Amino acid sequence: MTDATEPAGQIPRGPGLQLRNRLSKLLRYFYAVAGVVAVWWAVVLIAKPHMSLLPSPWLTAQTFIQLMASGELPKDAAYSVCRVLAAWSLAALVAVPLGFAMGRWDKLASVLDPVVELFRPISPLAWIPLAILWFGIDEGGKVFVIFIGAFFPILLNTIAGARNIDPVLISAGRILGCKGDASLFRKVVLPASLPQVIVGLRISFGTGWAAIIAAELVAARSGLGYLISNGMEVLRSDFVLVGMVTIGILGVLFDAVFRWVDRRYNWMSE
Amino acid sequence: MIVATPAGAKPLTLRGLAKHYATADGRVIEALMPIDLDIAPGEFLVVVGPSGCGKSTMLNVLAGLLPPSAGEARVGDEPVRGPDIDRGMVFQDYALFPWLDVIGNVEFGLERKGLGRRERREVAVHYLKMVGLAEFANKRPRELSGGMKQRVAIARTFATEPSIIFMDEPFGALDALTRRHLQHELLRIWQQHRKTVVFITHSVVEAIYLADRVVLMTARPGRIKTVLNIDLPHPRDPTSDEFRDIERRIYSDLDEELTKSFRMEVRDIAG
Repeated sequence: MTDATEPAGQIPRGPGLQLRNRLSKLLRYFYAVAGVVAVWWAVVLIAKPHMSLLPSPWLTAQTFIQLMASGELPKDAAYSVCRVLAAWSLAALVAVPLGFAMGRWDKLASVLDPVVELFRPISPLAWIPLAILWFGIDEGGKVFVIFIGAFFPILLNTIAGARNIDPVLISAGRILGCKGDASLFRKVVLPASLPQVIVGLRISFGTGWAAIIAAELVAARSGLGYLISNGMEVLRSDFVLVGMVTIGILGVLFDAVFRWVDRRYNWMSE
Repeated sequence: MIVATPAGAKPLTLRGLAKHYATADGRVIEALMPIDLDIAPGEFLVVVGPSGCGKSTMLNVLAGLLPPSAGEARVGDEPVRGPDIDRGMVFQDYALFPWLDVIGNVEFGLERKGLGRRERREVAVHYLKMVGLAEFANKRPRELSGGMKQRVAIARTFATEPSIIFMDEPFGALDALTRRHLQHELLRIWQQHRKTVVFITHSVVEAIYLADRVVLMTARPGRIKTVLNIDLPHPRDPTSDEFRDIERRIYSDLDEELTKSFRMEVRDIAG
């Protein structure tokens, strides 16, 4: 998973070049934001929509600062982030061990594969009504929906990682003194499948983050999803837009954290 | 042939060793007919045979990676039951752990043997020097060429000081020049350490160049066709008349088997 934007070939890589790459990457984000804002502003200037339909970028920025200052936005963001972190950790705690078991133990996989295949196509959003019926609008319902959303990407990637280990590496581990499954798991199976497990954790955080907003849209009194749906009800589209922008920013930040983890612990990247 | 019984090398004895598989549709495939063979401590034995003759299967059984269907293999007095760090193996596709650096790969078995951190680093460096890769200690396997990878794998195997080493077409994936160089290197290392070696190859020239004794296997089901002592002194010259004579003899035996195994393949594919 090398960065596609990095120059190919035998170009020497020093710290200077790395810094330049980082900067040019940041610059591209800046251009993207500037482009979106420019189009947004052009639409506002030309079509002159009512403020409750589409506020100008300037007004939205003002609302953003206002909501930040009042503490409302940080509080809602914190609610959403905590829900996702809790549910995602819970999903990882169940799905990673289960994935390894299914990936390395064909008998278990043959029993559980059909179950997984049946549940996998059901969007986590389809679970929202049941979550509300079962848990009300308490935290449990939201955590449940994210759990469903995060569970399958982690499970499927862990299974794939554990299953696709080159058998000769397992043989080499046994030849080189891994006696028993425990030491073989620790010294060979786990490190060999780690890159794929990290992919699963990263993807699932994305799906979890997308699902929490949906869960909060329908059943919450707090969180970024609530900020958005409440904005719609009181005809404050600037609230809606501030919520959306915050979701985007936090999503990019979390992905950056995962990319860092990936660079650090994935022997396939670098 | 063998000058003296080297310290740390053990004999390998095969008694009626056989292996067959059951296929999904219930047929039984004989991979290896019962084989009797005595390999002396410190001997360099090379097995040659047509592809699919069961020589890799034999090696996997000897290494304990596969259970035999009948008979047994003994290292010294102990029957082989499962893999053991006392029996090393070098694989054709190197089998280096990609998440470890070069020295980490060499240290892998040493750690399993219970050596402390400093001790295993010392031993690993020693064996990396032996294959001329000490300055590559902190590289990742994928940064190395095929020949270098196989040298790391050889260092990794010798580092655990096994009493016997199995080599499964270790130079099969390398280009001719690298292959020649590594054959030479391997002989040098083997002459220093005098481990018992069982080496599998397709190449008749490689077999004659390396072996104390060449075992020729038949087409499937595999059994021993010919055993040939190679008494030429090292280093051997593949262009010499003696070398060529042996090569001719092995090829005349082998051609028969190649024809058979080709016919079998045609029949298998035709169903």
